Amino acid sequence: MKTSSSYTAIAYLFLAPALILMGIFTFWPVGFNTYLAFQDYSLADGTSTWNNFAHFKYIAGEELFHNALKNSVLYLLIVPVIQLSALIVAKLVNNKLPAMTFFRAVYYIPVITAISIAAVVWSNVYKYDGLLSWFLQALHILPQGQDGQIDWLGNPHIALYMVMLFTFWKGIGYYMVLYLAGLQAIPAEVEEAAILDGANVFQRFWKITVPMVKPTILLCTLLCTIAAMKAFQEVVVLTKGQSDTYTALFYVYDQGFGSNHNFGRAAAAGVVVTFFCMILAIIQFRFFGDKK
Amino acid sequence: MKLKKMLAVGAVVFGFAALQAQADTELEFWTMNLAPKFNGYFDQAVTKFNATNPGLKAKWVDLNWDQIQPKLVAAIAAGNPPSLVNFNVPWVHEFAAQGNLVALDQYLGADKNNYSNAALKDVTVGGKVYAFPWYNSVSIIAYNKDILAKAGVKSAPKTFEELVSTGKQITAKTGVPAFAPKLGNFVGWFYYAGLPVLENGKAVFNSPKHVAFVQKFADLYKAGVLPKDVFKVEFEQEIALYNSGKIAMLTTAPQALKRTETDAKAIYDKTGVAKFPEDAGKQAFGAWLMDFVIPKGSKDPAAAAKLGKFLTGDEQQVLFSKATETTFPSTKKGNLDPYFQDGAKSPDAVNQARAVAAKSMDNARTLYLPPGALPDEAALTKKLQDEVQSAIEGRKPVKAALDEVVAAWNEKLAK
Repeated sequence: MKTSSSYTAIAYLFLAPALILMGIFTFWPVGFNTYLAFQDYSLADGTSTWNNFAHFKYIAGEELFHNALKNSVLYLLIVPVIQLSALIVAKLVNNKLPAMTFFRAVYYIPVITAISIAAVVWSNVYKYDGLLSWFLQALHILPQGQDGQIDWLGNPHIALYMVMLFTFWKGIGYYMVLYLAGLQAIPAEVEEAAILDGANVFQRFWKITVPMVKPTILLCTLLCTIAAMKAFQEVVVLTKGQSDTYTALFYVYDQGFGSNHNFGRAAAAGVVVTFFCMILAIIQFRFFGDKK
Repeated sequence: MKLKKMLAVGAVVFGFAALQAQADTELEFWTMNLAPKFNGYFDQAVTKFNATNPGLKAKWVDLNWDQIQPKLVAAIAAGNPPSLVNFNVPWVHEFAAQGNLVALDQYLGADKNNYSNAALKDVTVGGKVYAFPWYNSVSIIAYNKDILAKAGVKSAPKTFEELVSTGKQITAKTGVPAFAPKLGNFVGWFYYAGLPVLENGKAVFNSPKHVAFVQKFADLYKAGVLPKDVFKVEFEQEIALYNSGKIAMLTTAPQALKRTETDAKAIYDKTGVAKFPEDAGKQAFGAWLMDFVIPKGSKDPAAAAKLGKFLTGDEQQVLFSKATETTFPSTKKGNLDPYFQDGAKSPDAVNQARAVAAKSMDNARTLYLPPGALPDEAALTKKLQDEVQSAIEGRKPVKAALDEVVAAWNEKLAK
């Protein structure tokens, strides 16, 4: 006979491997990072001393960090675009037509491609004499010759959006799969009843699909928002922060591992980014979460 | 029975391994982008060092240059840094100023006098030597003879002005961008042109002379003489552009030509070599000293210094230069080796490049702002680079861009 307390013990036993790993690689770093944010940390001897919010005061007055935050907030523009597109694509590949598995796989391949490799490929797409310029010139959207060759990642007015386009390409498959799971959980009767009632495609999409996948929308929007605030890898590989693409986490990295080696300041900036992420999460729960 | 035997053998093996591990102090040293091309050289150096220094065991690890800093920072934070790390000069200053390097004066002793004065000056921070100077090189011009002939250019440029006008001629006549100079450190260009950057603790690079100098680059960019993405072109990309005939001239360190030789033989065969001209700054352009530092927290700095002195001694430096064929020792005696001048009359581009660059070595200082001159150097350098890029790419008048950077620099400098 098992008692309930032995069930609890067994449950914790099963949780233990994951908890230990998360403890070491997630909870401890978050805690230590927060601690560092209030300290002057010396790399050489590993000592740290309380500095009375000096890092926060510094980044509050630093233009570079403000600009980085601005770029990260701009990056959030990607969230609605990618969510709506992913939902539409999921709806499309949810049809029972031949070769659908192929399309699902095609949309998912970017997700499993290593970001560094994908970004190297894309930096060639974005080169001024690369694929994108060539393609748009071939369609006569851009003028022929030198004038039409745009250095997509070199012009500060468009570079950030080009990096966002890369994120879009890389991420859409991931959210598509999540939405696909959500869509397949919708019972077919609901949709059939709507068809009988004479609802058209758009009405069915807005009145049935969207409300029924609302929990998935919350999850995806949340994940996507946090991912957008954390945009970093694509920036490192595509632009190295040049041309006004310096994002908040790039600032964190640059302060820690760039030329300053100021882990305290990097940690403080990290805490600020975390704070922004939490505020956004709260807003999203208000919008999409279940009302009690 | 069988089990006992296995255990016995196992115990002996492990015991032996443990003994071995205790006996030898392992000295791990990191280098920048030298494997697999120079495996032969390093195998030789490691074997020789281990044979003459019983109890020490050198271990070579090669890393890509952009991995070195993050990995080293992580290793120092973890309390387990390597014995020696291959650094460039700016990194020596950064790390030394932050107290993350071991000062070497006590380990160098009289051996300090072996190194050339310019090299020692490059790695001295606050009166202390922080690195063992290793190999150096300066920029040369390697040009595609076919493209230059097509453009009607008779001889390689001898002054910076000529480089500018030759570039314009090449692009106007052939439509090919002439060259892709590295613009990632514009402070270096000001020094090259003999223009001051800081004076009396103030930024002064918005004078009419500075504006005119930057304007030259803006004009070159506008005329298509520089490739459109020139601000993204680094060492690797420049070689790739030259090897595929997309630029007419290489303006970089001579070791790039080794890559042309192996990767693009057809281009290599029609390559000529000339000295990169000096300008008013009277500095050999593109000098880039490599060195070894001992990170703070390294287990046995005295043993590490032994390895450092071995690798940067006359004998090993000349051997390394012979292996690369295009770099130069930073020791006084090393550069006197006849090997460096014999190539002047050779028909081979690499041999010529060696002789050409060796002549520039006397003026080889790695261009750099005095350490500690700027508060929050990373942010200010970024500001300068962003504005200069805007100016050269024609999004902003040069004067306005430089004025803005100078104002930003002075605001921080005044604090």
